[in-house]
Amino acid sequence: MTTLQLRGIKKSFGKTVVLRGVDLDIDGGEVLCITGPSGSGKSTLLRCTNLLIPPDAGEIYLDSVRVNQRSVRPEWVRQKIGMVFQSFNLFTHLSARKNVMLALRHSRKVSRAEAEKKAVYELNRVGLGDRMDSFPAQLSGGQQQRVAIARALAMDPEVMLFDEPTSALDAESTHEVLAVMTRLAREGMTMAVVTHEIGFARAVAHQIAFFDNGLIVEQGTPAEIFEHPQHERTRSFIQKILR
Amino acid sequence: MTGPPTSGPPLGTAPPGTRANLGQVRSGSTWVRVARRILTWRAWSPVVYGVIAVVVGYLVLSELGTLGVYRLSYALLILPGILNGFYVSLELVAVYIPLGFGVGFLVGWARTTQSLILRGLGSAYVDFFRSMPPLALIFFASLMGAVALKGTNLDPYTQHNITLWLGVIALGLHTGGYQAEIVRAGILSVPAGQTEAADALGITRIRSMFVVTLPQAFRVSLPPLANEFSSVIKDSSYLFIIGWFELAGAGYSYASESYRYHYAEAALVTWFEVALFFFVLTYIVTRTLRGIEDAFRVPGLEAATL
Repeated sequence: MTTLQLRGIKKSFGKTVVLRGVDLDIDGGEVLCITGPSGSGKSTLLRCTNLLIPPDAGEIYLDSVRVNQRSVRPEWVRQKIGMVFQSFNLFTHLSARKNVMLALRHSRKVSRAEAEKKAVYELNRVGLGDRMDSFPAQLSGGQQQRVAIARALAMDPEVMLFDEPTSALDAESTHEVLAVMTRLAREGMTMAVVTHEIGFARAVAHQIAFFDNGLIVEQGTPAEIFEHPQHERTRSFIQKILR
Repeated sequence: MTGPPTSGPPLGTAPPGTRANLGQVRSGSTWVRVARRILTWRAWSPVVYGVIAVVVGYLVLSELGTLGVYRLSYALLILPGILNGFYVSLELVAVYIPLGFGVGFLVGWARTTQSLILRGLGSAYVDFFRSMPPLALIFFASLMGAVALKGTNLDPYTQHNITLWLGVIALGLHTGGYQAEIVRAGILSVPAGQTEAADALGITRIRSMFVVTLPQAFRVSLPPLANEFSSVIKDSSYLFIIGWFELAGAGYSYASESYRYHYAEAALVTWFEVALFFFVLTYIVTRTLRGIEDAFRVPGLEAATL
């Protein structure tokens, strides 16, 4: 199973410093939940991980292979690291099935028939076997997010990144999506999840990282972070979201 | 009634008045669907009605003429000439609109890239060709061509032909400036999240342009493109000034010959006929685009119907 390591990741946008040297380890098959106030750089950190935003400094290792260097194509990295967005970002002009097929056809260069087979398999896996020919605009938020998960999984990634996957969803849809993610975690996928879903983090995460102001303030098991936070900043944030 | 009972509408046609089931028949390749949509499209019937209405109106109007000579008989007399102009216009439109689209597509795309040089060239193109009067552009192109060809040993016939087509190209470049902005707006209308999602899946930028951004931009661009096409079709009459005997040119020469008859009425009949054929030409083009629009409509994204 693939481990992911970040070392001293820094990123600024103009004069705004967003990441101040983040170190992070995710062991193979483990789930890391990242939580923290808005604007603290959580999303930027995830986007740096798959090089959607190239970091200014620092190293990213995927199974001890450094991925942010010239000789490694970002496309290769992104085929290994799947990502799910807060706003789904499904391709609006394509059906669910074609959304999943697109990357296989154009990134992995798989044949049409094979891509189709894989798409059907992955959509069934997220419980959308009956909505495969629906277009994004015909699906609920939860269904769209599950298609997005199937689309990322179809690439057989070694690590999955989730950027607030349920923040745009109602309670029922949130439940659907978290159920899929929970199963994925149980199957041993290495995952980094930015989330405020405390229930999910408690039940599924192996590690919780509390993120604030461009740095990891505190990291530990769910019990450590939720029951006995060491830092004052963590304590006040946890109290707020638990209420 | 004879013959077997029909079993409903043929494949690919929607029952009248329903938009909802457009897009449900999704068999065959996209282009087969497009062709089928255009051929079976209900709204072709207004074309037929329109032509009938105009012809009837035409007859009534020509009957209102005080002297019989330049009524229907005059209209029929000039019909072959006007039809000839119509074919020439059709030919011109079939050249400069696709040319304008090709240029507009490239320039519009260039203006959305990261490259400063491409963006600069693109906006210079748009600024220039949108601010030049098409009349002046056509004159420039064909006269500059004529001057440049003067020293060559091409025969005069070929030289003249080249200057004629240079004018057509000038008009194509002119409409290209407008179409570039339509294409650019279409590309910019696709949310950044779409590209980001394609990036995150390991698709290269150039590929995601073709499989993610452009298919969506294309759908957004169709209505304004139809607008621009229908506008620039009428600009084909500018080409009369450099010697293209197109629809308006044919009309103009008949109208100016009408002093032999009763001027006002003969000219009226002529221009009515010209307008009729311009209508037909524009209608064919805009309806084709509407057909394409319907064929590519994304289920669930139809505009709200009142």
